[in-house]
Formats: sequence, C-alpha cells, structure tokens
Amino acid sequence: MFLAFALITLLGALGMLLQKNIIVAGLFMVAAFFGIAGLFVLLANPVAAALQIIVYSGAIMVLVLFVIMMLNSHEEEAAEFSRPIQRWLSLALVLALAVGAVKLVMASKGVQELAVRGAATSPAVTLQGVGAVLFADHLLGFEVAGLMLLAAMVGAVALTKRNL
Amino acid sequence: MDTLASLLHTSPAIAWMAVKIVIVFGGIFTLAAVFTWVERRGSAMIQDRIGPNRAALFGRIRIIGLQQLLADGLKFLFKEDLAPTDANKGLFWLAPFLAFVPAMLGFAVIPFGRSFVSGGTTYHLSVLDPGNGMGMLYPLAIGGMAVYGVLVAAWSSNNKWSILGGMRASAAMVSYEIGMSLAVVALFMTTGGYDPKDIIAAQGYLPWHWNVVPHFLGFIVFFTCMFAETNRLPFDFAEGESEIVAGFNTEYGSMKFSLLALAEYGHMMTASALIATLYFGGWQVPFVQNPTVALSITSFVLKLVFFAWVFVWIRWTLPRFRYDQLMHLGWKVMLPMSMVNLVFHAWRMSQGH
Repeated sequence: MFLAFALITLLGALGMLLQKNIIVAGLFMVAAFFGIAGLFVLLANPVAAALQIIVYSGAIMVLVLFVIMMLNSHEEEAAEFSRPIQRWLSLALVLALAVGAVKLVMASKGVQELAVRGAATSPAVTLQGVGAVLFADHLLGFEVAGLMLLAAMVGAVALTKRNL
Repeated sequence: MDTLASLLHTSPAIAWMAVKIVIVFGGIFTLAAVFTWVERRGSAMIQDRIGPNRAALFGRIRIIGLQQLLADGLKFLFKEDLAPTDANKGLFWLAPFLAFVPAMLGFAVIPFGRSFVSGGTTYHLSVLDPGNGMGMLYPLAIGGMAVYGVLVAAWSSNNKWSILGGMRASAAMVSYEIGMSLAVVALFMTTGGYDPKDIIAAQGYLPWHWNVVPHFLGFIVFFTCMFAETNRLPFDFAEGESEIVAGFNTEYGSMKFSLLALAEYGHMMTASALIATLYFGGWQVPFVQNPTVALSITSFVLKLVFFAWVFVWIRWTLPRFRYDQLMHLGWKVMLPMSMVNLVFHAWRMSQGH
C-alpha cells in the first residue's frame, strides 16, 4: 500500500514537472495530492487525508486550473537559450537537499526511539482531537494565521477593485 | 455469511465487504438508471404530456414504458464513438470516468440501514464501517472531486462552449462550497461527532428531533448547495443548453455521454442520501424506536427516492438561474445564512442546551 501511494505521489510530481501542457500538469498535481492523502491514511490520520483532498485538490487546484483556463495560454514558452550551468547546479542542489533531508530524518530522536521500542500503532486522529489541539495548544498561532488570511483577502480585494 | 465465505475461500469479513459493495453500487447504479426514466416521465407529468410509454419487450409487454431504459442503453452502446479531431484524446477519454467515479464513491460511508448482530459479530450496513475516522468529511471531499470530471471534459473537447461550461462549473463550485461546509460543521457541533452513525443516532426516532428542525437554516443552505453540486437545474449552467449548446458535454456522444449522464444521476442519488442522513434521520423510522433491519432499510430507501424525486420535481418547476446569480446567492445569501446558523447553535450550546 505504501509503495502504491508513494509511487502515485512521485509519478504525479514528476509528470507535473515534465509535462509541457499546463492543464495536464495541473491534473498530475492533483494525482500527487491524492497520493499524499493516501499516505496520510496509512499514517493513521484520516482527518488530514480528508482535509488534504478538500482543501488542496478540491479548492486550491480548482482555482488554479480556473485561472489557467482564464489566461488561455496552455503551452509553456520555450526558453530563449539553454542554461546548462543552472540546470546542473539545480540538480546538484536538489540531490544535496534530498540526501540532507533523509539524513536528518534518520538521525532524529523519533526514529532512534522507534528502533529501540518498535512501532506502536497510535490511535487514529479524530476531528475532535484536531480541534482540541488547535484551540487549546496552538490558539495563538491559529488566530494569527486567521488574521493574516483576512489581511491577504482584504489586500486582494483592494488590489483588484481600485475604486470601491 | 460464513458458509458463503468458506465456499469462496475468503474470510467472512471480506465476503461481507464484497456483498455490501455489490448491494450499494448495484443499487445506486440501478436507481440512477431508473431515474433517467423517472425524469422523463416526471417531466411529462408536470408538463401535462404522456412521456415515453411506447417501448415494449418483444413488441408486446409494456410496463409503463420502463423498457425505455434498455432501448436507451442499447442505442448508446451501438452509436459510433466519435472524438473531435483537435481534442486532447487521452483526457477526452478520461473525463467520463473522472465524472462517474466520484459520483459513485461518495456513497461509501452512508449507512443505509441499522447495524445488526449475528453470530457474535456486528454487521454494519455501510461500505466503510463507522469509526473509520473520515466520517462525513469523506463525502464532502469526494464531492469536491466531482468538478474535475466537468472541467476535464470541458477542456479536453477543445470547444469554446465546452470551456465556457467548465469554467462556469469551477467558478460556481468555489462559491457554494464554503456555505455548504459551514452548514455541515454546525451539525458536527451539535452532534458532538462527525461519523454518520453518530449523526443518525443523535437524531433519534421522533421526526421533530431530526436535524431539519433545529438546523432549518442549515438545511436550506445544504439543500440548495446540493442542486449546485449535482449540476441540476436551477443551477445547471455547466450544461445550459439554451445558452452554450450543451456546455461541457457538447462534444460527447455514445457511451461516453451515457457515462456523463449516469454520473449526474448517481450524484443525485448520493446527494439525496446525504440529505436524508444529515437532516432526516438516515435509516430512522418515524415513531418506531427499534425498527427491524428490513424496516430501517426500507425507510432509508424511501427517503432517498423521495429526495431524488424532489430533484426531478424542482428541475421541471424552476427556471435556470444566471450564473452570476449563483455566485451572488453563494457568497451574499447562503454563506451569511450558514454563519448565522453556526453562531446560533454555538450560542445555544454555550447556554447549556
């Protein structure tokens, strides 16, 4: 199961990068989001999986595709000249980042404890649990995020409607 | 169940799962197909016509025209399968499935009858057992996926009418979804759980305790949004045949069109089941405290068919809205209404009710 979802995620992401047609690339991204939702379910967190699908593939990607269709340019423009140095540099950076991330995860406390104690199946996360954690432990962060989103919304309206 | 499982060399749990999947998807599929006929007969009834009543088996046996279904299916199967020259072929093929699969999947968490105990094991009458952690979030998530079928069908046809229909669908979807979700959140709050089993159990068997009474505002919002979600008339501007030919399915013919149409009716069934579960007590039988399993299933199916009929009824009663009118309705009427509903119930709960 893990392999299947991981493959969906990775192939979706790869397809998004390599696809020249922007709309098809967007659909590949939806597939990648689905893979991530599946991984969340395997991590005993169905709430995150549902929210992933509702928020990312249900709302954000629909808006993104809507904007792409509005702009009506479905093909990526070709670069004026190739940039071999930047290409190899970016590849090297991505590799370094990936190796570093894997090393960090493997060296982390949680993984080491896991090796000692063995995996205990944690109970599935519920919506009630998420709500309690959000409003009891992380109330400040939650409110700040809400305020920032409100400010962003007001800013967007002010930018698009000059004469209110 | 155990003998069946041993005959098939599987465990009883898997056999029961397979039986449930066959019952649920077979049932939804059949109901969706029957409702394509009910729609035509119903529209005829409402417009004082007769409607399709001539189709007959072997030219003899007419059962009020029900064979029309078979005739339609055969006709769709044998029609030539055309795809426009400039269409994106892969996506053009994929789109009917993208539309059809979410329409069927949404039903999976909805209990269609009472759970019962037999031989020491509890059998739940829903494809996904309660306590799966997704609960009512699952149909909402899957419902959000439905727009991709329309969007992909619209874009891949490479036809300006189709693209107009797809863009209308996606723009409309963003504007009604928040109001709908808030209406459901208020339900989660008063129930104290988000599993359909909890929501049904909390409603009880007395009709005036069903959620439709305390959550009347939320019910109106949810009910209206279901019409937008299923792309049905007052809000079917993704299709809008008097304005943009046939909208997103202009270029579709034969079995692919049939799948798109069945997806619409499948979605209608899921939406009716959601309305029945959330606001009308699901499988609860009015005034019967502990109904038998058969009675509870009958009650659920009756509610489902009734709401599906309301969909047909409203389609042939109301004229189509303009598409900016739904945006207006979504943002300026339904969102405030479900906000009021949410805050009112939060206030009531804080007062200790």
